[in-house]
Amino acid sequence: MTQSIDRRRRAVLQGAGGLGLASMLPPSLAQPALDWKRYSGQSIEVHLVKSPRAELLQKYQKEFEQLTGITVGSEQVPEQQSRQKAVIEFNSGKTSFDVIHLSYHVQKRQFARGKWLEDLRPYFASQAAADFDLKDFAAGGMFYATQSDGRIDSLPLNLDPWLLYWNKELFAAKGIAYPKSLADVLAAAKALHDPAKGVFGMVGRGLKNANVPLWSTFFLGYGGSFTDASGKLLTDGPEAIASATLYRDLLKGNGPAGIAGFNWNESQSLFLQGKAAMWIDGSGFALPLEDASKSKVVGKVGYGVIPAGPKAHVVSMFGDGVGVSAFTTKKGPAWYYVQWATGKLMQQRMLVDGHGAPVRGSAYADKQALAAQKLPASWLEAVSESLPISRPGLPVIEPVSEFRDTFGIALNNILTGSDVATEMKKATADFQPVLNKSEGRA
Amino acid sequence: MKKLLDRIGLAFVVFVLVSPAASVFLWMLSLSLKTETDNLAYPPVFIPSSATLANFRAVFEQTPFLSYLLNSIVVSGLATLIALALGVPAAYGIARLKARKLLLVILIARMTPAISFLIPLFTLFQAIGLTGTLTSVVITHMVITLPVIAYIVSGYFETLPGELEEAAFMDGCSTWQRFRHVALPLARPGITVAAILAFIFSWNNFVFGAVLAGRATRTLPVAIYNVLTFEQIAWGPLAAAALLVTAPVLLLTLVIQKEIAGGLTAGGVKGG
Amino acid sequence: MLHAKRQALYWFITPALIAITAIIAFPWAFTLWMSLFDWKIGSPSTFTGLGNYVALLTDRRFIEAIGHTLFFTLLAVIGPLLLGTLAALVFNQKFPLRGFARSLFTLPMMATPVAIALVWTMMFHPQQGVLNYLLSLVGIAPSEWVYSPGLAIPCLVMVDIWQWTPLVMLIVLGGLASMPADPFEAAYMEGASRWQTFRYITLPMIRPFIMIAAVVRLIDALKTFDTIYVITQGGPGTASETINLYLYLQAFSFYQVGKASAVVVVFFVIVVALSLMLFWMRERSKWNDS
Repeated sequence: MTQSIDRRRRAVLQGAGGLGLASMLPPSLAQPALDWKRYSGQSIEVHLVKSPRAELLQKYQKEFEQLTGITVGSEQVPEQQSRQKAVIEFNSGKTSFDVIHLSYHVQKRQFARGKWLEDLRPYFASQAAADFDLKDFAAGGMFYATQSDGRIDSLPLNLDPWLLYWNKELFAAKGIAYPKSLADVLAAAKALHDPAKGVFGMVGRGLKNANVPLWSTFFLGYGGSFTDASGKLLTDGPEAIASATLYRDLLKGNGPAGIAGFNWNESQSLFLQGKAAMWIDGSGFALPLEDASKSKVVGKVGYGVIPAGPKAHVVSMFGDGVGVSAFTTKKGPAWYYVQWATGKLMQQRMLVDGHGAPVRGSAYADKQALAAQKLPASWLEAVSESLPISRPGLPVIEPVSEFRDTFGIALNNILTGSDVATEMKKATADFQPVLNKSEGRA
Repeated sequence: MKKLLDRIGLAFVVFVLVSPAASVFLWMLSLSLKTETDNLAYPPVFIPSSATLANFRAVFEQTPFLSYLLNSIVVSGLATLIALALGVPAAYGIARLKARKLLLVILIARMTPAISFLIPLFTLFQAIGLTGTLTSVVITHMVITLPVIAYIVSGYFETLPGELEEAAFMDGCSTWQRFRHVALPLARPGITVAAILAFIFSWNNFVFGAVLAGRATRTLPVAIYNVLTFEQIAWGPLAAAALLVTAPVLLLTLVIQKEIAGGLTAGGVKGG
Repeated sequence: MLHAKRQALYWFITPALIAITAIIAFPWAFTLWMSLFDWKIGSPSTFTGLGNYVALLTDRRFIEAIGHTLFFTLLAVIGPLLLGTLAALVFNQKFPLRGFARSLFTLPMMATPVAIALVWTMMFHPQQGVLNYLLSLVGIAPSEWVYSPGLAIPCLVMVDIWQWTPLVMLIVLGGLASMPADPFEAAYMEGASRWQTFRYITLPMIRPFIMIAAVVRLIDALKTFDTIYVITQGGPGTASETINLYLYLQAFSFYQVGKASAVVVVFFVIVVALSLMLFWMRERSKWNDS
């Protein structure tokens, strides 16, 4: 609701320039304390993961270069290759990049274990701009950025809560209201499912690896937690089975044929064509839906917070951030880039350009920014309402890839007909030793 | 009459053979010339309602295409040429010595999954200080080109009848002369085929270019991934990128395929 | 052969051997060494001797991967061999626009596998894909194609056949091109039928080239990665997970380099074994001919 945004509204000095963001507002206006040109003449390499955030950073790169006198060589690398490259280079003890863009849900613990990123806390005090304002970052973002031993080795760029995209036209045609609970979602899906007309009640990720966050949204809504205090997995308990059953009923029962192989792009393309009544996925996929050159549902898309489950109201989220390589010799300039990339100005721009959901609260405060943004206000509302109830869509453990793989396969098998309880129990039994080993237990 | 039926039969077979290949590429061409709405439409739209070159432009805008192109030409060109220089003589030696086991050793490079090369080669190059340079990429691509050339060409050499070379030997030619003036010209079609294949494999290799190369030394297939934006797979730009990446190889092959044709007129198979 | 001749020939081979050994020696040493350890990148490594190998023996997923790989490879080798040889014979004939047709035919092989795989993925889409649309035109019910566990591997084979048949064609065609004309002319003179000419003259002559293509295809098919990874990622479930996919999973999703190295070694043994089998078949057929 816009009211809550107003409540967080603060006078932002940069906001004085309104959203004439095309013009360069030298941050030095705001705080003379930090010498932005301290590392002038040096150059850094920035490794970005191909994504809208990377687009944003590259778009305004020249501004950073002019501000600091630091030359930036940046590159966008597809996600899979980026992860491989990062691991290979970090492992070798020497990286070709100084700054790296990382995905928390996959890389956080791994980077922590090897201590591959520089601890940024000393810089917060000594080399931060006056408006750095660490508290401006949302709790979820700082949760991601902070390691279990208290080190803060990156700064969050973007939080991606999952939303329920719904086709208003299809809902209205059958007189169905926006679902208020997960059970309602299933009922709505059943009512709207009309394969004869080529319309499907629900569409979503079925592909193994990709599908786990979808299930975990439901799982968390049923009050489930991944492990208990002693580290024993609870993924074969009643909450897990109930949520997996819901997952199956939604996708298999009310989804298109072949959904077991769907990733976000197959789901998105069906939704874009107006063939799906609902789609649950990350909020970052919204931009093409409002693009008339791609989408048949422009103006008909509803953005909703995923409804509550029987026990809890939680949604999945992903996040990414930027950090400084522990092996770089240019820590100062790299820190400047990180600081700039996650600064208030850039976060506002992220919102306006629709490149993601900023982590800084201040970004949501500027009215003109809100007015100028490319996505509908309802998207922003859904995102900002989802953020407080967001939890990581994947457990924050070291073998998170194995988790995604094991349970992804189980969910996938459930979609192609296997028994829910059997699969969940088997996956849990398969994964427990892996988890134990990584946590140092026998 | 029989001849006419023959011709029709042949035409039919050619058509059946060529259509799967051609139709997918025509589909890609269609994808590359249409807007996104057309590309996502179902029933599929084959002829664009309004053809557009925007996708091709997008490829050039979103990737440093020319830089990648140059890198690919250098890398694949060098890797193929060096592989020819080393591999063709080796193929000859192996063929004449009937040393099959050595072939196996060379083939080991091809039998090993590329993934297993990544970490060790990276570590090695880092130790020598070659990370991210074109040299390291060329060296890595040799793993792709050399075995292909050595293996295929040795097969062709083996099938060459020995009489001509024996005659040359009697005439007092050295091994090198026999190789250079007798065997080599005869095996030209085979060498051409091997070279084309080696070049194509190297050109299309994605893994090494994506992981081992540095920002300035990336090769072309990476460009294809670059047009896939995060929030949507853009079919138009993807098809355009794929066609653009294939074009240079296609041109090269068209030019060189005459070499194979040359052998055909010499062979003159009738009614085969 | 004279001793000097042999020696000269060895010199022909040496540079290539040195080059290859230099490049692959270290990676192989690394792999063999790492396979004896339990090492996840970022954590310390522990020596386990043959522990990884023993674990693989009882790893059901790995065994299944072997099964998938063999099934895929069998189809992906035989298909292109048959079609490619046929194509080579056809393209050996003279007919107008032959060069053009041949170039069209070789197009699939030239395109980057990653891009092709993405295009095919969309073509396979059960609701939006061209293939189901074409089926609907002929009145056949839509199929789930690669999105169904049972059909995943056959569909992937289809893509592989589409892409690599030109490879076989080129190799065999090169062989046909370098064949002498005399036996054919002689057969023609003697009034041999087309089938007889093919069976007793053409076939034995191109058999070595078919074998070459077979070995290349065998190795490539066993190693197929880009196509499968892009289209199904080894799914649905693990229906199309081949050894190479499993290897990638271990090495770059789980970062279990030790275990992955063991997989490489086992995989390599399988590849060598199958290749040697082909070599042996080739020897035998040669022996039969003479």
